[in-house]
Amino acid sequence: MSSQHAKAARRFLDNNEQAQWHNRTLWMVREKRDRLAMQLPEWEELRNLASQIKMHSLSHLDYYLSRFAARAEANGALVHWAKDADEHNAIVLNILNEHKVKKLVKSKSMLTEECHLNPFLEARGIEVVESDLGERILQLMQAAPSHIVMPAIHLKRQEVGKLFEEKLHTEKDNSDPGYLTHAARLHLRNEFLTADAAMTGANFGVAETGEVVVCTNEGNADMGTSFPPLHIVSMGIEKVIPDHQALSVYTRLLARSATGQPATTYTSHYRKPRPGSGMHIVLVDNGRSRTLGNEEHLQTLKCIRCGACMNTCPVYRRSGGYAYTYFIPGPIGINLGMLRSPDRYSGNVAACSLCYSCNLVCPVRIDLADQIYRWRQQLDSLGKADRVKKIVSAGMNYLFMRPSVYNQGLRLAPSVNHLPRFMIYNPLNAWGIGREFPVFAKESFTRMWEKGKVKKPQNKDAYEQ
Amino acid sequence: MSSKDEILANIRQHIRQTYDLPGIRPRGICYPDKIAQFIEVSRSVGGEAILLQEGEDINQRIRTLYPEARTIASNLPGISVQTLNPDEVETPAQLNGTDLGIVRGEIGVAENGCVWIPQNVKEKALYFIPEYLLILLDKTKIVNNMHEAYAQLQTCAYDFGVFLSGPSKTADIEQALVVGAHGAKGLRVILV
Amino acid sequence: MKVGLFIPCYINAVYPEVGVAICKLLDYLGIETDYPLRQTCCGQPMANAGFEAQAIPLIKHFETLFGAYEYVLTPSASCAAFIKCRASGNIYEACEFLHDVVKVNKLPGSFPHKVSIHNSCHGVRELHLSSASELNIPPYSKIKNLLSLIDGIEISEPEKVDECCGFGGMFSIEEPAVSVCMGKDKLAAHLATGAGYITGADSSCLMHMQGIARREKLPVKFIHLIQILAAGL
Repeated sequence: MSSQHAKAARRFLDNNEQAQWHNRTLWMVREKRDRLAMQLPEWEELRNLASQIKMHSLSHLDYYLSRFAARAEANGALVHWAKDADEHNAIVLNILNEHKVKKLVKSKSMLTEECHLNPFLEARGIEVVESDLGERILQLMQAAPSHIVMPAIHLKRQEVGKLFEEKLHTEKDNSDPGYLTHAARLHLRNEFLTADAAMTGANFGVAETGEVVVCTNEGNADMGTSFPPLHIVSMGIEKVIPDHQALSVYTRLLARSATGQPATTYTSHYRKPRPGSGMHIVLVDNGRSRTLGNEEHLQTLKCIRCGACMNTCPVYRRSGGYAYTYFIPGPIGINLGMLRSPDRYSGNVAACSLCYSCNLVCPVRIDLADQIYRWRQQLDSLGKADRVKKIVSAGMNYLFMRPSVYNQGLRLAPSVNHLPRFMIYNPLNAWGIGREFPVFAKESFTRMWEKGKVKKPQNKDAYEQ
Repeated sequence: MSSKDEILANIRQHIRQTYDLPGIRPRGICYPDKIAQFIEVSRSVGGEAILLQEGEDINQRIRTLYPEARTIASNLPGISVQTLNPDEVETPAQLNGTDLGIVRGEIGVAENGCVWIPQNVKEKALYFIPEYLLILLDKTKIVNNMHEAYAQLQTCAYDFGVFLSGPSKTADIEQALVVGAHGAKGLRVILV
Repeated sequence: MKVGLFIPCYINAVYPEVGVAICKLLDYLGIETDYPLRQTCCGQPMANAGFEAQAIPLIKHFETLFGAYEYVLTPSASCAAFIKCRASGNIYEACEFLHDVVKVNKLPGSFPHKVSIHNSCHGVRELHLSSASELNIPPYSKIKNLLSLIDGIEISEPEKVDECCGFGGMFSIEEPAVSVCMGKDKLAAHLATGAGYITGADSSCLMHMQGIARREKLPVKFIHLIQILAAGL
């Protein structure tokens, strides 16, 4: 009864030292987030507002999206609409070809991961350079991100050192983060200056002004867009918000929730194309409009991709991003994966102890854990329910719906205490892997009550306050 | 039907329930001394904010702060230490190698150390490419929080603008904080 | 006031002393209590595992048994939270009831030991027994308030004050590696306080951690907080 996630998590935990480091480091980020959140008396009000503004924007998405597109076009940007990943990739390729782009420099974009843009472009002869340090490391390793904000959080400095030795010809055995970051700075500086086009994601699209807002700490989106004559923005349709007042709410929540900073270093507002260059905005649906009609999971569209739910998730911290089969891990990823394809990603639904911490850190108050609970209820009808869990649940139902059988069972239970260890603790018994079984009491509570061994509380006024 | 029409039609078809925009304007944190708070938070984000003393010469101060700087780019009036007028470069790449960029900020935000810089040079690269960035900011233009800052942007026209909070940084290798990922390795704000 | 007492299945079979303790307390407080003998399970294990359909008849059964009582009490935060949002009736977790309804402000007896409070997920984040560490709200703890009524007790809390212990019902057997790791980490945090007892409002979490402690032969005792509150009765 082990899901794919459970098996991968076991492998992750087998490397005890690394697993503990992962857990500890992400918890540190959660603590930083807590410190920043506690500094603002209005924190919970901000979360409420952020949620309400998103619900409003989503339920008027046609209006805000049209308005955003019209304003952006009036500003001089070209707006494209993509129904799905294929159309998105085709549009991007077309723009790049029109401008004879050989090299594209990108800042981090979960949407382009979702669309598998990089391999698509590379197969068509375009060099794609990721410019976020973490993303660049992973690109050079030909690996995927394991966290949406800290993509290389699963790697040790020595692994990065080795990689840079080979790819960027850094000093042998020098894995000092400062040294390696500086090497990447020099390497990517050259890429920025020689790229033919830049691509960014979008944290927010502001309907009132038609501007795209991109947040980074490194300044890589800004460096990328400062030199080449072409800027392509890849933006999910759910990123549109009404106006600057709404934006002020999200810019206060995003970095505090994501990394425990009061603001991202760069919060850049792209309103008009740079003089002499082109700005294209590709608005991508790829299943989002359908999710609007899914009342149980609509709230996933509020997500501002801060990653706080991953940092707090006790399961994510102890299993790593790669244990999840969808490219976005953790609580939000479990839900987004199921919206993408229950068939492919249902294995992640078990990776949750329903502790509800994610619900409470989420800056836009997505009901993440409730949604995971609801997905579990659907697994059976999707033919994805765990067979053993199903049998156990049916057995429990049988037992508990028959009080006399249950009471008989309570009487017999203590005999289990005397079974030989090999019968209880064997590989088929997942509980016994790291835990002893509870010892059944000689007499159940029910039996004691029946026998009059429990004092039956009576009405009296003995207690005075 | 174009993709645009199809997407918009899909959206309309799927929306089940509408929600109102919350009416309340967010109440943001306020500080008894915005300047002191701005200076403190600037330090916490890896930058520095300093007050120019009464009668102090700004160019002299800049020279003292950046004795090593060779190429200094600025188009600000009254800044004489500049060696490069960024409005005269032909391509933004020509700004590569700039040791120090000196620019003007329009709004400071006490809650997070952000400085609003609407683009007022030829190439926005000036805000990102110099090794060090120095921002001049009128200390009376510090607001409490982002709500107040964005309220002021309503009346401000810009093609590109950025809120900058501290120097460029990354923690992508083992969460070890390193300053100077791609942009400025050091960021100072002089409050005038 | 007449209350119906619900003793969850695993408490019934494994920790009947918790039921005995709550009866002592209710008797001391002079609250007439019924224990319907045909009670079984609230259905939460099946529902959390994804088989709510199997749980619904149990919730109906629960409503039939307990619907008529002014209050229904159970010494399990997790079960109380599950029933609360699904069944009609006035269900309370026991310490919530003592704190908010009876407003107990004195109790006899002493418990001269250092205890570490296990703030369980459903107790904190669904029943609001204490302020969740994620939220910017004034800190409070109904559990601490109640335990403070007992003489001689020294109260502590672990680091990561309300992080999950990894039980999670069938999660514990479907994700055994992560579940056990979470449990070990949680135990270590409790032990680091120097407490001799781990206590809380959820016997299920305690059972999970006790299973690990026994396997690891750790010298720590587990006790439901109701048992501490009834120590002098």
